[in-house]
Amino acid sequence: MNPIVASLTEVFQMVFFVLWSVFLVEAYLYLHFKKYEEKWFTPAMLAGVPLAGLVYAITAVGPAIPGSIMAAIAMYAFLVELAAIPFFKLVVRGRYSLPLMMIAPGFIGLAMLIAYPLVFEFYLAFHDLKLTTLKVWAETGSIPFMGFQNFVDVFVKSPLSEVTFWRLLLRTLGWTFVNVFFHVVGGFALALVLNNEIKMKGLYRTLLVIPWAMPQVVAVLAMRGEFHSQYGFINVMIERALTAMPWLAHLGIQKVEWLSQHPFLTCTMINVWLGIPFMMVVILGGLQSIPKSYYEAASIDGASAVQKFWNITLPLMRPVLAPAVTLGTIWTFNNINIIYLVTGQAGGTEEADILVSALYKAAFTYNRFSYSAAFAIVIFAILFLVSMLWLKYSKGTDSAYG
Amino acid sequence: MASVTFDYVKKKYGEVEVLHAISLDVKDNEFLVLVGPSGCGKSTLLRMLAGLEEISDGKVYIETRLVNALPPRDREIAMVFQDYALYPHMTVEENMSFGLRLRNTPKEEIDKRVAEAAQILQITSYLKRTPKQLSGGQRQRVAIGRAIVRKPKVFLFDEPLSNLDAKLREEMRVELAKLHQKLNATIVYVTHDQVEAMTLATRIAVMQGGYIQQIGTPSEVYSRPANLFVAGFIGSPTMNFVNGYLEQEADKLYFKNDTMKVLIPFAIPLANDKIDYKSVVLGVRPEDIFIERVLDKKLSDVINVDVEVVELLGHRKNVYLTAGEYRLLATVPASFNKNPGDKMFVWLNLDNLHLFDKKSGVRIN
Amino acid sequence: MADKDLELARLENDRQQRRDKIKTLILHVLLILACVVTVYPLLRILSVSLRPGDKLMSTSLALIPEGASLKAYADVLTTTHFLRWLWNSLLITVVTSFIGVSLASTAGYAFSRFRFPGNKLGLTLLLGTQMIPAGMLLLPLFLMIMRLGLINTYIGMIIAYSVSSLPFSIWILKGYYDTIPRSLEEAALVDGTTQFGAFYRIVLPLSTPALAIAFLFNFTSSWNEYLVARVVLSDSARYTWTLGLFELQGQFLTQWGMFAAGSLLVTIPVLAVFLYSSKWLISGLTLGSVKG
Repeated sequence: MNPIVASLTEVFQMVFFVLWSVFLVEAYLYLHFKKYEEKWFTPAMLAGVPLAGLVYAITAVGPAIPGSIMAAIAMYAFLVELAAIPFFKLVVRGRYSLPLMMIAPGFIGLAMLIAYPLVFEFYLAFHDLKLTTLKVWAETGSIPFMGFQNFVDVFVKSPLSEVTFWRLLLRTLGWTFVNVFFHVVGGFALALVLNNEIKMKGLYRTLLVIPWAMPQVVAVLAMRGEFHSQYGFINVMIERALTAMPWLAHLGIQKVEWLSQHPFLTCTMINVWLGIPFMMVVILGGLQSIPKSYYEAASIDGASAVQKFWNITLPLMRPVLAPAVTLGTIWTFNNINIIYLVTGQAGGTEEADILVSALYKAAFTYNRFSYSAAFAIVIFAILFLVSMLWLKYSKGTDSAYG
Repeated sequence: MASVTFDYVKKKYGEVEVLHAISLDVKDNEFLVLVGPSGCGKSTLLRMLAGLEEISDGKVYIETRLVNALPPRDREIAMVFQDYALYPHMTVEENMSFGLRLRNTPKEEIDKRVAEAAQILQITSYLKRTPKQLSGGQRQRVAIGRAIVRKPKVFLFDEPLSNLDAKLREEMRVELAKLHQKLNATIVYVTHDQVEAMTLATRIAVMQGGYIQQIGTPSEVYSRPANLFVAGFIGSPTMNFVNGYLEQEADKLYFKNDTMKVLIPFAIPLANDKIDYKSVVLGVRPEDIFIERVLDKKLSDVINVDVEVVELLGHRKNVYLTAGEYRLLATVPASFNKNPGDKMFVWLNLDNLHLFDKKSGVRIN
Repeated sequence: MADKDLELARLENDRQQRRDKIKTLILHVLLILACVVTVYPLLRILSVSLRPGDKLMSTSLALIPEGASLKAYADVLTTTHFLRWLWNSLLITVVTSFIGVSLASTAGYAFSRFRFPGNKLGLTLLLGTQMIPAGMLLLPLFLMIMRLGLINTYIGMIIAYSVSSLPFSIWILKGYYDTIPRSLEEAALVDGTTQFGAFYRIVLPLSTPALAIAFLFNFTSSWNEYLVARVVLSDSARYTWTLGLFELQGQFLTQWGMFAAGSLLVTIPVLAVFLYSSKWLISGLTLGSVKG
């Protein structure tokens, strides 16, 4: 019972702290939006805000704060408030009070959880934080300055032990392209089959969605097990086939060391198996929204099944396919899970890594933090650039279609 | 019940002014209808009265109270919306009592008022149902009931009948008229349908392009429209308009164009900058075009016309006539037996002629 | 003459019906094959979990192995921290989802209903955060959490998970609020609420489908998460179930059976929730048209 109570206590402490923080924020905003014209406003705020800051710090950290830090907090709060008061009095003047008060808690959370880390990441990239400098940083908060060296290293030095940036980039592109291709083709094929009037369609659909519905960790680890060279399903079947039909050996069919010799292929096969159901569901939805009257008209005009597909189905699926493919591409490009789960353990290989999985390993297995920060920025820049180009391209073709 | 005053009220969206200095008095217990085509500003004006739109300039008074800065809930108004806006997650009873419950009205009072309103609107049997289970007309009544229960100073209606089918609309019009009598309420009502305006209003304000074109009783607005717009907007079928000029012949004044000559039997103001007698519009309503000489009306000289199209409406016919390049629509008894292509004579009722300056649209007589 | 035509028509009809039957047969065969591919790994987990202790490593493909036993299930529940891991996951996931949905419910409303400087920009940025690779944010976040001494704590995990749950929840709720007609809030304003009151009494109760969906989405993505947990948690007693399961497979020589049993124990509820809620998701997403 005890550990459960302890865990609950810890979590509830946090929840109360969050509520308390939200309360403070809302009170601050309320006073500054609604009461800024009162006589007592300026003096009350100049005195009250630093005080509130101190109280908050005490609740956050505990009463044992050194006096110097207390003074620093009070001073900073005072200065910030000195700037804030005229801002609220002259610029804001109580407008947009409700929307801003409603957004404030969420926004501050986002600022702390996303904006600040991103800024910090840039900071890291220009400094040198790694395993050896970590302790120093933890104690003093300073790291040696590195300039652009990390960025250069991204392209020149390997993030892990051997594989280079360019190899990773190429492999990532290949990974993305192959996976998305098979996802779409496979999903489309299954959707086309399901889009007919057949019995038990619901049952089929439910069963086909299972790879997506299963927790990814379970699915990947299970599939990884099936590629095991001795006990995995695939090799067992190959062995049985070979014993039953020995002539197959002449065709070059033999047991394969999947995980050790073809890790990239293995990961790809697993990811294809995982990703088809999602595409299938999306495409099926799109297919079902195409009115049957188009097909009927085409039948009357004498079109064959292939012609119908090419001229009706594909064009009308564009608005559904485009976002699905875009999302799928981004997810595939950024997919660390599969590669890491399959090859990430001690004794795992680098041969299957793509950019993002190498990033994760470099940061958390090799603890090369600054390098990884620069690496992450480079990866994101690539993704961003490609997205912009893609947007321009698709807008261009869209306008061509009118 | 209370009066409402708009004092030079303007509405701007950014740089664009959509309501221009509207001044309007709604008297106590009046049923004032704001009518006009879409985009004329009538809904905006109503919403500014309700407090749902900010007032860019000018003052709005309810009774004698300046309400510019008051939020809707403090203005003592009730509003019926075009899409009824019934709270889907509450029953009819809860919908109707919502406003009272917010003000901590005692339960007996709430129950009493809800029962009263339900009885007036004949929705007592629906009180426990949710809006989903009601038809359009029933929802409409609940929306009205929600407003009645509040006993507001002013009732606001924003195109409440637009979403009903024609038959239901007719029924509800009668209900609304009865409601006004029974409740002795001050009502400000917005619609684009001039039939609703004519049948329900004690006074009509015709709006166009952010301006009030005319305010008056229905019969004033019908028989003496202040400009071309009002003349063409009020009355169904629409008034006929013919271009021409005014000329003096002997000591009589005539309206002339290449196909007709009509005596103007009344005095008109002297020529001035505002009115150009070389370019006027003659307006005559379809029911003021006669196909045979009747003795009790003062008729114009004859006009030669060709029959273009004849429409049978049951009890009467719409006849489209052409006189040269001008087209006239006349409403005639169903016994009218001419066919398209026939030639015939018509006479205009001189008592109900309307003259407008072509350029400004302003009424001359 | 007419008889011959009738005869021909009848033959053509029969041929068509036969073609249809064959087509249906082929479709069913294809679907069954596909289903086998998708379902088989799951069945294999089941069969491995039922294997008796001495036959854990075997090349048998039988679905129900000889001497099937439930020992693996008993073992995983009693000898490992499995239940503890489930509890950890549950606590973290529920709190994260709650925080995400509550903060997002008001923020999404503000984005939906009000025009204020930064509205459009904010939404675009929110969308943009979805594009950030997981590792990119994780790195600085990890260091921040470490510096704050929150490594290996529930709080650290909740902080890390809230990163992704917030923007997504705001986006979903905003989209749903957009479908609620404003006239409902206006009616409430006239009836006597404040602006916030209209939100609280009218819009929020009507948004329960969207709130539930946002909660569910956050729940499932946090529940199934592995990589962030791997970085933040280091103490076996604090692991979420994903880490715990991974640990079982790490030493897979002896833990195969328990791994399979544990996997199944987690997968069945997840599948059930997914399948149950997917029907609801679809109806919930079309619940937008609320014309009172």
